[in-house]
Order: sequence, then C-alpha cells, then structure tokens
Amino acid sequence: MTIFIQIRDLRKTYVMGKSTVHALDGIDLDIIPGSFTVVMGPSGSGKSTLLHLIGGLDRPTSGSIVVDGEPLEKMDENQLAEYRRKMVGFIFQSFNLVATMNAAENVGFPMRFARTTNRERRTRSMELLKRVGLDDRALHKPTELSGGQQQRVAIARSLVNQPKIILADEPTGNLDTASGYGIMQLLSVLHKAGHTVIVVTHDPRMQHFSTHIIYLLDGRIVSEAEYQAASTFDFAETSEGETTHES
Amino acid sequence: MRFIDLLRLILDNLGRRKGRVMLTAIGVVIGTASVILLISLAIGLQKSATSNLWGISDLRRVDVYPGYSEAPVMMEVGRSSGKGDVPPGMKILTPQTIEDIKALPGVTLVTPKQGIYGQAVLKSGRLENYPWIQGVDLDDIGVFEYPMQGGVTTLERGQAIIGGWVAQQFYDPKQRPGQDPPAQPDVLGQTLRLVLTKWTQDGVMINKTVNIKIVGIMSQAQAEQDSVMFVRLDELTAWNEWMMGSRINYNRDGYNQLVVRAEDPDQATEIADAITNMGYQASTSQSVVQGINSFFIVLQVVFGGIGAISLLVAAIGIANTMAMAILERTREIGLMKAVGATNKDVLSIFLGEAAGIGFIGGIGGVIIGWGGSLLLNMVASTFMPSNPYGGTQLATSTPGWLPLFALVFATLVGIISGLYPSLRAATLVPVNALKYE
Ligand SMILES: Nc1ncnc2c1ncn2[C@@H]1O[C@H](COP(=O)(O)OP(=O)(O)OP(=O)(O)O)[C@@H](O)[C@H]1O
Ligand SMILES: [Mg+2]
Repeated sequence: MTIFIQIRDLRKTYVMGKSTVHALDGIDLDIIPGSFTVVMGPSGSGKSTLLHLIGGLDRPTSGSIVVDGEPLEKMDENQLAEYRRKMVGFIFQSFNLVATMNAAENVGFPMRFARTTNRERRTRSMELLKRVGLDDRALHKPTELSGGQQQRVAIARSLVNQPKIILADEPTGNLDTASGYGIMQLLSVLHKAGHTVIVVTHDPRMQHFSTHIIYLLDGRIVSEAEYQAASTFDFAETSEGETTHES
Repeated sequence: MRFIDLLRLILDNLGRRKGRVMLTAIGVVIGTASVILLISLAIGLQKSATSNLWGISDLRRVDVYPGYSEAPVMMEVGRSSGKGDVPPGMKILTPQTIEDIKALPGVTLVTPKQGIYGQAVLKSGRLENYPWIQGVDLDDIGVFEYPMQGGVTTLERGQAIIGGWVAQQFYDPKQRPGQDPPAQPDVLGQTLRLVLTKWTQDGVMINKTVNIKIVGIMSQAQAEQDSVMFVRLDELTAWNEWMMGSRINYNRDGYNQLVVRAEDPDQATEIADAITNMGYQASTSQSVVQGINSFFIVLQVVFGGIGAISLLVAAIGIANTMAMAILERTREIGLMKAVGATNKDVLSIFLGEAAGIGFIGGIGGVIIGWGGSLLLNMVASTFMPSNPYGGTQLATSTPGWLPLFALVFATLVGIISGLYPSLRAATLVPVNALKYE
C-alpha cells in the first residue's frame, strides 16, 4: 500500500515563559491516498495543531511530514505557500469567509493567487457552488447565509484549486445537528470523488463515513481503548460536582 | 500572483471599504493641497515681485557710479555735479575711465549716461510732460535692446526717443478738478518743444526753448526706461552748459553714470567686482535678482515645509489606518496564506492598498490645490488694486511639475507609511493569523 502522507516523530512544543506545552509529543502516522481519516480527542489534545502542520500553516518543532514524497520541513516559505495553494484545501470551524465578499467571490478567492483568468475563476466558482447546492446564493454575503450554507461555501472554496488533500477542523462544530450531518455527507462525497480527507471532530457520527479513526491524547496517538478510558475518566471528573448519578 | 490579479484585488479591497479609504485619504488630500497651494503662492509671489522690479530685465548690465574712496559725502549724484563741485576723495567717471573699463575682459559696451542739471518741460500744444532726460553718447540706442513700440532706435541731434510711459503722461496744466484727463497726443514723428528753465542769481527765471523731434517710442516694460527721454549727449551737454553758465569738461567733472554691458550675464558680477576694485561703485541687477530668488527659495522651502508637515500628519494617519486595517483583517491574512498567498503577495496587496490611498488622496489634493490656486488668482484679479504700471496681479503660479510631483509624493507617502504594517502582515505565521480574534 502506498503512503500518501508520512508523519514521523512529529513534535510541536510551545514555550510560554517557564511552562512548556507539548501540543504534539511524537506523532507517527501514515495516511494512504483516498482515505477518510477522522481525528478525535479531548480538547487540547493537539488535533488542530496536527492538522495545521499537515496543512503547512505552521512548522513543527521537530519531526517530519512527507507528502507525496516531498518533505514539508525542507520547503521555504514560497514553496510552502505553493504547497498550500496546490495540494491542500482547508475547512475551518468558523468558516473564515471574507465578510465583504459574496459567496461566489469567496469561493474564487484562492484562485486570485493562482494565475487563473477572471472568467475561469467565475465559471469555476459557479460550478463549485452548484456542486454544494448553493448556485442560487452566489451573490449573497456571508451574513445573508445560514451557518450550514456558509460552511458549504467554505467547502466549495477549499475545492477551487483542486487539492488532493482536504483538511477540516471541526467543520460541524458551529452547526446544528441537521446541517452538520449535511456537511458530513458532503465531505463523504468529496472522499468518494478521490480526495484524501482528514477531519478533526467531536461528532461521533463522522465515524460512519470514515475509513480510519485516530485518537489523540496529550499530543500522542492512542488506541481506542485508551481513549475511551480517558474520556470516561474525564467525564466522571467533570460531572462529579454537578450530579450524584452514576451513568 | 499575476500583476493584473494583484491590481484587481487591490482595487477590490479599496472598493470594499470605501468609507475607511476616503476618511484616510482626506488627510492626504489636505496635505497635498496645502503643498501645492503654498508652493504655488511662493512661486507666484516671486514672479510678480521680479516682474514688478525696475530695471531687472537686463542681467548683462552693470551700472557704474562715481566712487567715494574716503569720507563718503552725502550728495545727489547727477544734480549737483559740475564745475568745482567734485568733492575731495571722489573717484569720478572720466573718458579715461571708459577706456579702462573697456579693457576689462567680457565688456562689450561702455557708454556714459548724463542727466540734466535743471528743469526741462516737454510741451505738445498746451499739454506738458516731465520726462527723465538722459544724454547718451550713442548713434543708436539699439545696443540697450529696449523693445520698441514704434519709430527707430537711431538718434541724432534734435531728436529724442521716449519711454512708453512718458508717451502716456501728457497733462493739461490748466485742467480743472473733476475734468477728464486730456486725450494723449500721438507724438511719434512730431516735433515738440522742450522748455529749459534756469534762474539767475537774482532769482529771475530764464527760459530757453529747443525743438525736438520724437523719432522713437519704447514699449512699456515696467523698467526704468519707461520714464526716460533719451537725447544725444553732446546736445545735453550744451543745455547743461547753458544752465550752469560755464563749460563742462568731463575729464574734470566726470559723468553721472556709465552703463557697462557684459558679453554674458554670468560675467556681469565679475565685471562689477573688477570695477569696484578700481574704486568706483558698480551694481548689477544680478545681485538683486539673486537676492530676491534666494529669498523666495527660502519662502518656497518654508511653505513647502508647512505643506510637507501636513503630509507627514497624513502619513501618520495612513500608517495608523493600515495598522488598524491589518489588525482587523488578521484572519483574512491568515486565510490568504492558507489558500496559498505568498509573503510577497500579502506584502504587495497591503503596500498597494496604502499606495492607492496615497494616490487617491494625491488626486484629490491636486484637484483642490490647483483649483484653489486658480480661485485665488481670480479673487486677486477681482479685488486687488491693479498695478499702476500694468504689472502682473498674479497671486499664485502653479508650474506643471508641481501637481505631478505632489501626486508622486502623496503616493510615496502612502507606500512608506504602509511599509511597516504591510511587512508585519506579510510575515505573520498563517496559523497565528487565523487564530487571531
Ligand atoms: N499558539 C500557541 N501557544 C501556546 N500554546 C498553544 C498554542 N496553540 C496551541 N497551544 C496549546 O497546544 C495544545 C494543543 O492545542 P490544539 O489547538 O491543537 O488542541 P485541540 O485538540 O485542537 O483542542 P480543541 O478540541 O479544543 O480545538 C493546547 O494545550 C494548547 O493550549
Ligand atoms: Mg482544535
């Protein structure tokens, strides 16, 4: 089996005054092309940090990420920007749409940095809006769209440069159950269309669409059993003061 | 990122926040407008000052007067000179002096100018005129290069060439108050009477009338020749001898003045210095013009400085707005980077926006500054009393380079003030920019 993304002993350490935080504490991970990986873990376990490093939005303290044979740590700023532009589509929990641009402009935004013509950008934006079911909302500003619709626009935007990798950081976190489910289905469609998808989520329903699940705990990948033990412990601890019931 | 895409994105970004952009640009508008207005005013003042100055037109000319080597004597040169009048220690201008000055390098002409020693009235019918009579030892006053309104520049005995102002100054001595001034006679080619007057020691007035034909009229030039009547020196000498009742010997009495001409304006100062070293007084309009010019250059610098200070204030405004905009748009910058914008792209976008604000403000400032200076001229020409010699009433003068310079300057102010905030934006780590609240 070919490995598309190979992560070895990845570490990210934040030093804040006297305390050091090991956000990622030695991650080894192989991701195969066309897989749908769900990353789960409690808050602060390093999920977002991992996603940012894979997406080239930040640099690790040590360790390596090799994508399609290219080590990210060897790239300079410009090469990294090119990697983000060509290989990666990012989807954020808070959508990150530009408030002053309408839906079509937001979708086309990444193409402005990619040497494409104006017309190409417009037709492609419309195509993608159609694909996420929002072609009738092309001229709406983000404030005139529902959360689910905004996230669809953001997904369309992540696809605009035809990236191989889709990275989504809690894409359903700000959405109600129904629209969240719609987004999951949309990600699944992208997965089936051949994109390699990595999704960080707290929503267990996402697991039904996935091919792989990894559990993070304190910056390390753990087994499902370890993860369950930790999260029940977490749960017991937090609910201690609130309720005397045992679940 | 292609340049055209960059340009479009910058224009889109400016268009997306019109209010903010305009508000910032107003600072630049005020700064640019005041630079243009103040410099135009300084240049305009300089122009009208230079054009209103007497005798400034000829930069090759050196005027030479007798020198006072010791114990300077207060006296009016040209009126009191005469037999036995030469005070001790005075270095007089003799025919020998003329030869000496002619020997200086770069001198093309040395000619005496002599005034009349008494009263002389020019009469045309019952109209009278008091020109400033100057005797010149020339067959042709063309060497002075005074522009002519009519007639010839050649001068013979019994003839005179008058200034353009003189030709307009005939008055009726019997005119009653409230009466219109008389129509000016066309004196060119006419023979007029020149009435010379002297008093005997007993106070008896004696008149002598000579006929004189006006053969040329000089154009009005807001210069000293406007009020002059040129006659031949030998003729004037004869009149003066009649006035004084004695013979005049220029070797002993000296001339009032010598007019020296340099081949080149640049040599005028040098020649004047050489003549001063010979013990005479020499002056050039060069020094006057240079003095005036340097004064107005100082004025321009001061005015320009005031304008520049307002531009500086505007620059701080732009820097502040850019810094604020970049804080506000930190997440947008993070997004740009996440979707593949390079540091250079981000830098270009924000620098371009800053330059755009500077440029827009510059355009507004040029329009307001230029328009304002035109308006000032209109107001000035309507309300300011007109110069009696027809001098220019221009209040401001805007040279073509000034708006262009101001526009470039305003744009540069935009770029410079946007530099630091843009650099900061460009070097943000994408993930930190995205996390910014
Ligand atoms: N810029 C930073 N400076 C200092 N510490 C940081 C920084 N970013 C993240 N961390 C720390 O790194 C750890 C991992 O953070 P990360 O955002 O990856 O968690 P997460 O798993 O995404 O949590 P959540 O589910 O709440 O989003 C946390 O303890 C966090 O406090
Ligand atoms: Mg997170």
